[in-house]
Amino acid sequence: MAANKKQTVVNEDSLFTFIDHNTIESEKIIAPRYSYWKSVFRVFFRKKTNWGLLILFTVLLLCSFIIPVFCKYDPNENVTNALMFHLSPSQAMAQTGGFSFKWCLGTGALGNSIFYGIWASARTSLLLAVICAAINMTVGIIMGAVWGYSKQFDHVMLVIYNIIANVPYILMISVLVYIIGSGFWSFVFSLTVTGWLSIAYFFRTQVMIIRDREYSLASRCLGTPITRIVSKNILPFMTSVIVTILATELPSYISMEVFLSFIGVGLSASVPSLGRMIQEAQTAFITYPWEFWSPVAIASLVTIILYVLGQNLADASDPRTHM
Amino acid sequence: MKKYLLRRILFSLFSLLVVIWTVMLLVFSLTDRSVIFQNDDTWNKRSANERIVYEYSQYQRYGYLEYVNYTSYASNKLGNGDAYTEESNLIQRQEGDAYLESATVQQFIEEYTAKGYKIVRLDPIKFSSGRTKGQLKPGGRGFLLAVRERPIIYRLFDYLGNLFTVETTNDVKDPSLTDRYVRFEKDPYSGLFAIVGSGTTHKYLLYFDSRFPWIHQNWIHLNLGVSYTRFRGQEITGVINDPSGDLKNARQQFPALIGTDQYVETSANFHSATYNMGELTDAEKQQFNDRYTVITYRRSGLSMIENSFVIGLVAVVIAYCLGLPLGILMARKKDKLVDKLGMAYIVFIMAVPSLAYIFLFAALGTKLFNLPYKFANAQVKFLAYILPTISLALPQIGSLMKWMRRYMIDQMNSDYVKFARAEGLSEQEIFSQHISRNAIIPLVHGIPASILGCLTGAIITERVYSVPGVGNLLTLAINGHDNGIIVACTVFYTTLSIISQIAGDLLMVKYDPRISFETKGGR
Repeated sequence: MAANKKQTVVNEDSLFTFIDHNTIESEKIIAPRYSYWKSVFRVFFRKKTNWGLLILFTVLLLCSFIIPVFCKYDPNENVTNALMFHLSPSQAMAQTGGFSFKWCLGTGALGNSIFYGIWASARTSLLLAVICAAINMTVGIIMGAVWGYSKQFDHVMLVIYNIIANVPYILMISVLVYIIGSGFWSFVFSLTVTGWLSIAYFFRTQVMIIRDREYSLASRCLGTPITRIVSKNILPFMTSVIVTILATELPSYISMEVFLSFIGVGLSASVPSLGRMIQEAQTAFITYPWEFWSPVAIASLVTIILYVLGQNLADASDPRTHM
Repeated sequence: MKKYLLRRILFSLFSLLVVIWTVMLLVFSLTDRSVIFQNDDTWNKRSANERIVYEYSQYQRYGYLEYVNYTSYASNKLGNGDAYTEESNLIQRQEGDAYLESATVQQFIEEYTAKGYKIVRLDPIKFSSGRTKGQLKPGGRGFLLAVRERPIIYRLFDYLGNLFTVETTNDVKDPSLTDRYVRFEKDPYSGLFAIVGSGTTHKYLLYFDSRFPWIHQNWIHLNLGVSYTRFRGQEITGVINDPSGDLKNARQQFPALIGTDQYVETSANFHSATYNMGELTDAEKQQFNDRYTVITYRRSGLSMIENSFVIGLVAVVIAYCLGLPLGILMARKKDKLVDKLGMAYIVFIMAVPSLAYIFLFAALGTKLFNLPYKFANAQVKFLAYILPTISLALPQIGSLMKWMRRYMIDQMNSDYVKFARAEGLSEQEIFSQHISRNAIIPLVHGIPASILGCLTGAIITERVYSVPGVGNLLTLAINGHDNGIIVACTVFYTTLSIISQIAGDLLMVKYDPRISFETKGGR
């Protein structure tokens, strides 16, 4: 019995080995690994609808960037052939002999292919939205961060903001487009020259809220440089704010283009755009519905998808949903 | 509070000034001014030199420049005798530098160069061959002009100086009118008193009648400028304010015949009488007591701004009556079916370009309910207002629902709600008495903006249904290169947006006494 007992004790002892005290290792705190972006995407993809929307969006994106490359959209290709004007999908395909994607949405007022037209236009709209959003967001966020942090800058900017904010946005853009012309890049200029201001103002308020929190104050007392406070203390808090702004900004530029082209101050006729297609087909919206509803449907589809995806991504980027 | 308000108003005026000046600077210096002649019939009919002089006259009228025609200068100097005829022949027919030998021409050039004018000589254009050789071509008369560009800063001051005009008793430049006054008189048309002027442009400066808003004035006039192309040469204030439609007759009496039994069926609005500078006809002498005989006529339709305002206001009322309760309902049934349906609607309204659903609605309304689509084609005028009003209300309902739901949900987790629940209040009471009253505060701020916004009209809705309203004005102006209307719209829209901001803030303070502008809160 005693021998037995002794043996067990020995065995238990032999299970343990002494290790050296390691100061570096002892500093480590064991916790489940948390990666912010991993969690964002985990939450985002948990929703089944997001998968569907994302696939749909990819298809739209591929279509609008690949189809115009291989199938050049020429609005004037049938301009001399009056037989091709205003054909419904079935008529157009009968006219050209058999099914083809090119004529599957009918022809427009000048015999142009609606199918090619909407993809070339969707490409313009998407490019416009991405470029404008990129410029406005970058300038807006940087200016907003400085604006929120520096008090002298705040005084100057508030005066400028209060003056410009009084002018209705539509009025401002229309007048700018009227003055500087309606090419693609001058249109981008009109949308961005004051567009960043509202984003910056929104961002300023958010930065001001975080700026005076205790941990920021502590960090400043410890002598952290301002750039580091901005990039490490403040900006991470802003991720979900940024995504929320992006979610509303991106579709808004597409809507804005459609709106401005519709009232006749948008892109020039040489650039295919959804707004212009809608504007040209508006008188025919009862007689030749396919000409009107195809670009409207694409515009609505793109904006809805962008909006919903953006909102869901914004929800997912809020750390409180990561439980 | 007063000090804050004063500072706020002064700053608003300053920013309005900056905005007007910037837009004027951009519009008048960066756009091609000759586009105003694109659809001008007079310009098309004239040719050669006469066309150029017509251009100068139009530019002067719209304030771009000032010019002096030598012939009018010479007629002032020399009278209308032979010396003048000789001078005008010299200018109109002699080619080359012959005109420089005339002493009057030299004087003209000297005088106006000293004032900073530039001398422009348009040589006569003659036929160089054929039977008519040596004769002037059509419109080929020679001209001598002195031209001076008007700097934009002066144009701004001109514009602001003329923005408001007040009628005085010295307005009528008629020496035979000796009795000049402004006084209260009994108004024979309304039976009430009216302020009547003599020597002022209008006779009735302030009066009452049966038309909305029942009290009218002709004393102070807002002058937003002149339209360049769309409503060529018309006052913009008149364009947006003058009623449209058919003449509306009524049994009335002419001023001089009041008291007799002579009635006439006429649409004349006798309150609009203005002074007649010309000869009075016999009929006018019989019908009127004085020289205020120029009258306008009553029309049955609404003016542009009234059209927009009626549609907009009804839409706003519908939106607040539907949007707020729906938002509250969504918050109460959070994550239930009602909420999900509401969210789908909000996403649809927020994301889809507005013209997509306006057209969708137009298609549905005309197909299913047989409502009139285009405003002008409507047999019953009342029906034509339905579709535009609903189209305008839809997005507002969506946005009100969205914010109401958001603010309600934010409030639902507050301590005061938990306390109310602990006290044993019913859910109904908590929602209607406590949460919604707090949640509505941020929305109160937007009420003046949405009401005043009706005055600026709705661009897409009015365009789709062809409503004759002010919403279309800016886009018409931009497409027609009408710089006058563009500047007027800027002033009008910006002023309204400033007023609605201030009114919104004041209303919010009134509704929620916790908010104050005086104590230095915030950072």
